[in-house]
Amino acid sequence: MTRGSRLSLVLMAAGPLAFYAIFVLLPLAQSLQISTSEWNGLGEPVFVGLDNYTRALNDPLFIGAFRNTALWLAVAVTVPTVLGLLLAVLLDRPLRASRVYKSAFYMPITLSLVVVGQVWIWIYQPDWGLLNSVLTALGLEDFTRAWLGDPQTSLAAVIVAWCWQQTALSLILYLAALTTIPRDLLEAAAIDGATAWQQFRRIIVPLLRPASVVVISLAVINTLKGFDIVFMLTKGGPFHTSDNLAMFMYSETFFKYRVGYGAAIATALFILAIIVIVIYFRQARASERIYG
Amino acid sequence: MASLTGSGAPPAASVPVAPLTASPGGGERRTRPLSRSFMVHAFILAILVIYAAPMIGVALTSLQSNAEIAARGVWHIPESASLANFGEVLANTPLPRYLLNSFLVTLPATFFSVLGGVLLGYVFSQFRFPFAELLFLIVIAGMFFPPQAMLIPLFRLFNSPIEIAGFQVLPALYDTVYPMIIIHVALGLAITTLLLRNFMSALPSGLREAAIVDGAGEWSVLFRVILPLLLPALAVLATLQFTWIWNDFLWPLVLTRSEEAKTVMAGINAMKGQYNVAWASQAAMAVIASIPTIVIFVLFQRYFIAGLTMGSVKE
Repeated sequence: MTRGSRLSLVLMAAGPLAFYAIFVLLPLAQSLQISTSEWNGLGEPVFVGLDNYTRALNDPLFIGAFRNTALWLAVAVTVPTVLGLLLAVLLDRPLRASRVYKSAFYMPITLSLVVVGQVWIWIYQPDWGLLNSVLTALGLEDFTRAWLGDPQTSLAAVIVAWCWQQTALSLILYLAALTTIPRDLLEAAAIDGATAWQQFRRIIVPLLRPASVVVISLAVINTLKGFDIVFMLTKGGPFHTSDNLAMFMYSETFFKYRVGYGAAIATALFILAIIVIVIYFRQARASERIYG
Repeated sequence: MASLTGSGAPPAASVPVAPLTASPGGGERRTRPLSRSFMVHAFILAILVIYAAPMIGVALTSLQSNAEIAARGVWHIPESASLANFGEVLANTPLPRYLLNSFLVTLPATFFSVLGGVLLGYVFSQFRFPFAELLFLIVIAGMFFPPQAMLIPLFRLFNSPIEIAGFQVLPALYDTVYPMIIIHVALGLAITTLLLRNFMSALPSGLREAAIVDGAGEWSVLFRVILPLLLPALAVLATLQFTWIWNDFLWPLVLTRSEEAKTVMAGINAMKGQYNVAWASQAAMAVIASIPTIVIFVLFQRYFIAGLTMGSVKE
């Protein structure tokens, strides 16, 4: 390679890499540093070592947010994944209007969680919300409640709204993966007497494994990042019952001005994300070896 | 919304244009085809109505009057539909300004994040150099970083004047559109670099060599020879980036305060209290704020879907 060539490459890479370093990597490191301090956002941070971390482990609100996040993760990797897969199998057939159907099912993914949150507020609204109206119409008045204001249901209500949008993403990814399954394979299986369920269980699901890795990884990472929908629906309330780590981090930092503590919670989120990244990259490599 | 990676299919091949006929529902049995397909349509439509109910609800609401909703709630077929709410919120709220701000953030951030991806993608796809692989992994790992992990330092950075060697070169950028542009470019580099690097790796390998032998420099190879071949990938990334950046809420929530800087999503949130019971106005705002991304999606659905499903981490 000529010297001019080498210089050009350095110039090409320098700008974007510097940008990434200054506005992503450096803040990550600074956040770690802030997490070792006591700081109200004004004045000078005071170094307190790992106090914020030990405090988190003894803070029932942190434990609660952590537990809610774990529960959310458990739902996130199963519900939208399964619903998306079933919808994909249902829609992956030559129907006259299939393109229209697909577009309609994809639509939630184009919406901001601000808008999604707005809509779900109206579904959960206690007096005339859709959910309570439907329950009343079915004669189930006893089950109506203020879904977002009730500590028993606030977390579930938020997770359901989130799953609604996530299902569209899972559907899109599975539909694309389904087009790669050779039609002959399923026809041959049908000729050999495989039932629809057997085809689904023994052929479709195993061949979709790489897609499933992607769907589940994204569900996990979107859960960890999941702040917008909580903020729009409940801000973590009532009584922190619908807090997740992202929301808790925000409220500690920007409502209570415990910035050092907020940074420590952010670190916990980051560590969880790193674990996902490592698993994802290993899986991506492994599935490449298998499916080449 | 999150950033996305996808399955291992090479970019161009993964555009799902026509679905294959992989129906697990029992193949070509001797059922009467007409009634069977009618059943399938009915079934899909029934599920669609339930699934789309939230979107149908907001659309219906935006067409009713606030008085009608006060009397009957949001969830019914409107007696009279009108576009009056749209005119009302555009005329009487800062919504137009919020929309303008959203464009002022989204368009440059989309452009520069894709440009950065083109440059890094070229370097990572065409050359081997020490630590290239590690560097690449560090960049694309950015897709997975929760924004909370950068939130406090970036908030602090943009709240103070920019000084170089003790001299103030810029006032604090808090409550302007610039911090959001900067952050979305930096965070967007992960996905743009990943997809463009994969796309360029799939191009015929002799392309660059041939152009270099003909006397072209690296810049003209990239922008004259390679870039024209990247148009589909650029369309994919532009639609994805536009959608994510337009829909973002956390950064404008944290980094803006006034009408002059708030994007439309933060603006809608800010007006929530003021329009507490004006449901129809709120719905009209939600619809207006969603129009740009829906239009993009309808026009470029093929690219959008391809973007969601391609990528993966090819070694």
